Amino acid sequence: MASAMKKNFAANLVLIVTGIFIFFPLYAATEFSLRNGAEHTHGFAAYRWIFAQSGFIENLGITLRVTSLAVVLNLLIMVPTVTWLHLSGQRYKRLVEILTILPLIFPVVALATGAQLAMPDFMQNSVYELSFFYVVIAMPYTYRALDIGLSGHPLSTITNAARNLGASWLKTLSSVVIPTIRPSILAALFLMVALSLGEFTLAQLLHWSTFPVWVTNVSQQNVIGATALAIGSLFFAWILLFGFSFLGSKNSTTVQEEE
Amino acid sequence: MKQSTTSNVDVKGALVKKGAFHGFLTSSPIALLPLFLFLLVFFLWPIGALTGNAFKSNEGAFTFSNVTMLFQDPYRMAFKNSITLGLLSGLVGAIPGLAIAMAIEKQGNQTLKKFIASISGVLANTGGVPLAFMFLAAFGPAGLVISALKSVGLDLYGLGFTLFSFTGLIIVYAYFQIPIMVIVITPALTSLRKEWKDSAANLGASKFQYWQKVGLPILMPSFIACYLLLFASAFSAFATARALTVGNIALVPLQIGALVDGNVTINQANLGYALAFGMIIISLVAMIPYIWIQNRTARWQVR
Repeated sequence: MASAMKKNFAANLVLIVTGIFIFFPLYAATEFSLRNGAEHTHGFAAYRWIFAQSGFIENLGITLRVTSLAVVLNLLIMVPTVTWLHLSGQRYKRLVEILTILPLIFPVVALATGAQLAMPDFMQNSVYELSFFYVVIAMPYTYRALDIGLSGHPLSTITNAARNLGASWLKTLSSVVIPTIRPSILAALFLMVALSLGEFTLAQLLHWSTFPVWVTNVSQQNVIGATALAIGSLFFAWILLFGFSFLGSKNSTTVQEEE
Repeated sequence: MKQSTTSNVDVKGALVKKGAFHGFLTSSPIALLPLFLFLLVFFLWPIGALTGNAFKSNEGAFTFSNVTMLFQDPYRMAFKNSITLGLLSGLVGAIPGLAIAMAIEKQGNQTLKKFIASISGVLANTGGVPLAFMFLAAFGPAGLVISALKSVGLDLYGLGFTLFSFTGLIIVYAYFQIPIMVIVITPALTSLRKEWKDSAANLGASKFQYWQKVGLPILMPSFIACYLLLFASAFSAFATARALTVGNIALVPLQIGALVDGNVTINQANLGYALAFGMIIISLVAMIPYIWIQNRTARWQVR
């Protein structure tokens, strides 16, 4: 035990320093957000201020709806594509890998200005155009999450086994493929939601008011309130996202019982 | 390929209704059509339109004048700043990121690994005003760290440090750059097979020799590739730069934002497109080696 601890000393030290770097700014901002103006007391005044600002609920609603559509689009496009690549399209994997890395190469600012030029009016008149672009800019992450997840399973072996036992393709997909890759699907959705909740550049440059854009605008009025908003929106995203990853790990262990 | 042919035969032999999911049996690339169409409409088309407009005058005629503007100040300066920011911020993210990913691998705790993966996914997407205010609370003029240091006699702001500077941007960017590095370098670390370490040890290599002759040479291409990715990330970051700077540092994404945001005269929009085109060219120069390296390392990585 003692030797194992010694062996991992350097590793633990790195992790502790990392923890401090991650949590210290969070701690400092939380403390600051609880200050009561000039008095040296603490309270929730700044958090009450947030709810008093107009547009809080509306903009949060817009962001959640845009995120929901992005999640659905992401599911519909990425999950069948990656499953197919693993089952019978192996030789196209390199091509898709290069294609899905492209959105990381082209700056989002460039995509936003290009979108303004190219998109027809009916798209530019709807806030949901953002969802489509969010799916694109999340693709480098969502594709990789699905790909790594699927690589861990002998997908073609288990589908062949299911087929040989007489399962239809529909049954194979719903009872074998999807339950097997559910953790990877959730990992991809997790990344999609993380990106969509905080995205600012596209929303701002395409002139849409989403939650991050609203946060930026109201921040100019009240420094303590803005810090409270920063902390509030981060924790909101974290709670949502940890819920997601909890769902993922829970399902991966209960696959057999469910089916 | 052979496998999928066999599975086709299996399918024909079994009692199967060919239904809606027939498409999964095909090995023809038609299954990729939805992805291709999506990327064509929502990615390649906007980028193409942007490129076309970068070479157009306000009257719509072909011109190089927008692009030649990029080589004059203030735009030349902005490109220089943005590239420097990308290069430095890449280093500040890549080295600690590698150390953390290695520490997690070494620690080997699966719960910790999952936790770090989740938290990295969130932190990599933290940016803009929330991130700026977090760092203001810690390192701003009245921030906790700054006040604490002041009370022991070290006045950082008095010494010329400020969060609203180039150095400040690099510190703040590290908060999302390091998690990105952890995410992208971990697969490369996982693919360092334990067998290699064991065989090196069996052949009498010390730990140091293993890293010097086996580990690092294998890791190096991935490390460079990930560094380039971090370069591109910092080079094109918009939200955080916009929240933290007050027009004191010329950066290309901010200039584009100002030019196409309608705050300036309309006839400068094409200049904005030219700037965006310039960013694409620089990102491409950085990322083509990335794709090339990833293609090469994919040969031996466990997939």
